[in-house]
Amino acid sequence: MTDHDKNTYQALFDHNPDALIACPACDTLHKAVPVRAGHIARCTRCHFKLMDPKPDTLTRTVALSITASILMVTMLCFPFLTISQAGLTGEVSMLEIIFDLSHGWYNILAVMVAAFVLALPIVRMIALIYVMWPLHQGRPPPPAAQQIFLFAEKLNPWAMTEIFIVGTVVALIKMMGLATIGFGTAFWLFCGLVVVVALKNAAVCRWTVWSLIRKSPS
Amino acid sequence: MTRAIDMGWIGCHTCGTVHEGDQTHCRTCSATLHSRLPNSLQQTWAWLITGALFLIPANMLPLLSNLVLGHNEGHTIAEGIAIFFQTGDYFVAIVILIASLLIPFSKIFVIGILLLSIQFRWQLDNKTRLLLYEFVEFIGRWSMIDVFVVALLAGLVKLGAVISILPGTGAICFALSVIFTMIAALRIDSKLIWDAPAKDTVE
Repeated sequence: MTDHDKNTYQALFDHNPDALIACPACDTLHKAVPVRAGHIARCTRCHFKLMDPKPDTLTRTVALSITASILMVTMLCFPFLTISQAGLTGEVSMLEIIFDLSHGWYNILAVMVAAFVLALPIVRMIALIYVMWPLHQGRPPPPAAQQIFLFAEKLNPWAMTEIFIVGTVVALIKMMGLATIGFGTAFWLFCGLVVVVALKNAAVCRWTVWSLIRKSPS
Repeated sequence: MTRAIDMGWIGCHTCGTVHEGDQTHCRTCSATLHSRLPNSLQQTWAWLITGALFLIPANMLPLLSNLVLGHNEGHTIAEGIAIFFQTGDYFVAIVILIASLLIPFSKIFVIGILLLSIQFRWQLDNKTRLLLYEFVEFIGRWSMIDVFVVALLAGLVKLGAVISILPGTGAICFALSVIFTMIAALRIDSKLIWDAPAKDTVE
């Protein structure tokens, strides 16, 4: 680190503080040079992804979030799996699985499944639509856009749709000896949902959204 | 290499916006600003130790109990894996082995290493730091697989007369352990990891 570097950064900061970016992972300062869509700017020190603009990030995220929420709601209305054993056949939807689980202390498990697999992913989708739809329409950011987008980003590690589908496959293999399991409509919808959610998360460019909802320096 | 802290500025932990040192909230993302998260080490240690303690009953108590014709047979995580290897379901055995045994234990170990490296300012090389941090950030949540398996099995098998599967206490302890270690990972201020000079860079 030299005084020359310090002076350069100070001059840039005095001119426009948004011309600089401090790596959120390691605090190293960088000049925020605009990056072309499809390219990735990484921190020179820790390789954290600083900017990865995606083409049409607003349109894509809004479209995929709407698709995902429709899939999620539809999925709840159809049977998830069918079970036949000893001549008895039954169908269960996701909601039935959760309600069947909620007795006594099993409630904790029921709440975890309901929250991590259904509630938090859908809250994240709605939050993304709320923030990004007006921006996509060229309108000013909606009230509390910063707080809501921040919340949506913090929810990300807790939305576990893709983990649940792996759990379902493992559970099916475990059950094979005990009963005959068939896939219900909701299972296939859920597989589609996992793909759409993955595409949606890949379409979000935080940098684009942050720069659209930023307040000017006070 | 100049850091925001060297200039007396604060870089936002969420979005990287650079602020004067006297600001309290980020103008871009509204997150509370800290040059370094206060008490990051203490908080991470606390969540990590809680998570590690819950992992003990999670592995000792039964994860599931199968009631087959009134006969109760429970098994722990390790016994479950052994059963799958015996019956030849190698795919499931390996998935559960990785998700339920290797990831939780190695995650606690790696967070511990990261915390010690911060506390004693170990000079790790940059590649190691990055690898360790990415490992805890992205891997931990996959341990929830086994919790979902237990929930599904218990929710599915309700043909009570012949078989019923009940979640064991181990499943709850396991789920809580995963959640606590996920929170521990989120409480690490990664900037602290990078504050100690690296072994492989000459400044």
